[in-house]
Amino acid sequence: MAFSAKENANPTILSASDLPSHRQRRKVNEDSSKQHGIRELLMGRPSYAIDPFYLSDYSDTDSDDSAVEPIDEEEIYDLIAPILDPEHPLSLESLGVVKLQDVHLLSPPDPTNPAALSRVLVELTPTVSHCSLATIIGLCVRVRLDQALPPSYRVEVKIKKGTHNSSEDVNKQLADKERVAAALENANLMSILRNMMKPCLET
Amino acid sequence: MAKPTPLMLRINHLADFKPTAMSRAWVSIPNPNDIPLIATATSEKSVRVYSLRNFTLHSKMDKAHERTVKSVAWKPTTGKGRTKMSLATGSFDSTMGIWQRREQFGGEVASNSMDGEDQEMEITSSGKPKSHRNTDGSDAESESSGEEEWEYSIVLEGHDSEIKCVSYSPSGQYLASCSRDKSIWVWEEIGEDGDDEWETVAVLQEHEADVKCVAWRKDDGNGELLASGSYDDTVRLWRGDEDGEWSSVAALEGHEGTVWALEWEPEAVQKLFANSTGQDDGDEYSRPPKRLMSSSADLTIRVWSKTPTPPPPNRPSYFSNAGIPSTMRPGPNMETWTCSATLPTAHTLPIYSISWSPLSGRVCSTSSDGFIVVYEERTTGRTSVGGAIEREWVVIGVLEGAHGPYEVNHVTWAKRYDPGSRPNEEMIITTGDDGAVRAWFITDIPQAGVESGIGEITIS
Repeated sequence: MAFSAKENANPTILSASDLPSHRQRRKVNEDSSKQHGIRELLMGRPSYAIDPFYLSDYSDTDSDDSAVEPIDEEEIYDLIAPILDPEHPLSLESLGVVKLQDVHLLSPPDPTNPAALSRVLVELTPTVSHCSLATIIGLCVRVRLDQALPPSYRVEVKIKKGTHNSSEDVNKQLADKERVAAALENANLMSILRNMMKPCLET
Repeated sequence: MAKPTPLMLRINHLADFKPTAMSRAWVSIPNPNDIPLIATATSEKSVRVYSLRNFTLHSKMDKAHERTVKSVAWKPTTGKGRTKMSLATGSFDSTMGIWQRREQFGGEVASNSMDGEDQEMEITSSGKPKSHRNTDGSDAESESSGEEEWEYSIVLEGHDSEIKCVSYSPSGQYLASCSRDKSIWVWEEIGEDGDDEWETVAVLQEHEADVKCVAWRKDDGNGELLASGSYDDTVRLWRGDEDGEWSSVAALEGHEGTVWALEWEPEAVQKLFANSTGQDDGDEYSRPPKRLMSSSADLTIRVWSKTPTPPPPNRPSYFSNAGIPSTMRPGPNMETWTCSATLPTAHTLPIYSISWSPLSGRVCSTSSDGFIVVYEERTTGRTSVGGAIEREWVVIGVLEGAHGPYEVNHVTWAKRYDPGSRPNEEMIITTGDDGAVRAWFITDIPQAGVESGIGEITIS
């Protein structure tokens, strides 16, 4: 499953001061929204469009009115940075496990389409290459984002290439919907995850 | 995304089944015996049975499983005047449940009947008129006591971890279950019908990781064949021999991601193409073996065909074992299967579900990406070297955001029973992370009218 991060690539380090590039990128993407009209005619009106209970995630269009800013990488980073390491009372941020430049967001070309999906990729850097807790840290990051982001966000959590001996195994597990769902029903595992996420809920 | 032009079909919203589950729904399986019901497995630890006639809740099975019910399977009727509906549930709590219900929906069918067709349908569900029908025509009780009518008759234990899928063989003789524990269990109900005595006839453990799905092929003269798809990226085929020993008869390799779903070719599809070539003599055993379709996290849908054994004589002998590692060389009971087609790429995220229609031969798929895609197999008009008529798969219908922004976990074709439907009309039913189960009907897009239609609206 290729995550094509190229379009929204932040080839250099993304920090708070670099954020203007984010807005420019969105403008470039507006062009492709013109195809939308034809497709919608062919499909007919999707039912969510006429469902009064359906809540659009995108009230923001191409206007520069920043009253409703879409979610950006930094916000996603803020959601997971305070998560605690399961072994130490230290945050993933302070351990360097999550880094802002390893949070990637691919926004849909047409933000007015309520069915359009955003893709999030978070690459983790385990503290040691054989860290057996990589899976649980990855699971916690995925669960945190699944719960905090709107349902149109598809979250992928990976161990950064070359930082872990069994990164492929861990990545496949974290991408497996059934495994994640089953993990959430495991009381022991969930109490560990809740402890790890405590700082996230306090802020 | 493949360019699905020109699209032939429009996928239209027909109805949502009400009330909707409050959390993720995994699969919805229509009753295979022409009873207008569909069973939905949910993470509410329950199964909801909805009516296909009016899209409302018919009954519920709960308080038996401790975790998500991931899978559900109706027992096919044996045609021996069964008076009970039976259903198996597979749960993340690692157990399987067998549920029985007195078959009172004969009355339910009649109560909603507006024409004579329903009566006929009710009769055909077991092949002959049912004797247990209320003679006075009153069916009020089936309405009022819906919730109590499902009896949790037995729990089948054996798996070490979450059950992912359960499936009855078409004859109803076997029940297969598969799990994250890498195993597939084949169960058989022994003794008299309704005695609730079950026996494990096989535990199959050759997969290297979670087994995600199991699907049975109807007996083609050599017994029923079981297919399984796994997190280890392979598909395996299994068969029991005369002595009741079950073993793997083929390993289908090629997918580069978890195999999420399997579908066997319906008989009607074989007839469809056989008729077009004039080769079908009506004997199902003389047709080529049914093909198998698989969908995967690698974003592909593949069609697998059995290669005739022994190898075709026109191949040089030194090619006959080419590509098969020596350890994999088929033994006397092994079969060789190859990927004979790949459907056009139309999804951008894992393809969780496929369904191959027994009525139209069309295939539909759903994915984490929220799309419904419909495909059709056509003859290309060309003939291949061997004399067979070439076929190809094309995308004929696409719908984005079938469940809004949510993932669509399951799709199935089903016969329509609602008052607005035509005889033998089919519909698509999808099941999503939002807990919703949605019905969709298909209309043709008049090919000449498409462009003018767009023109008009663009101008205005």
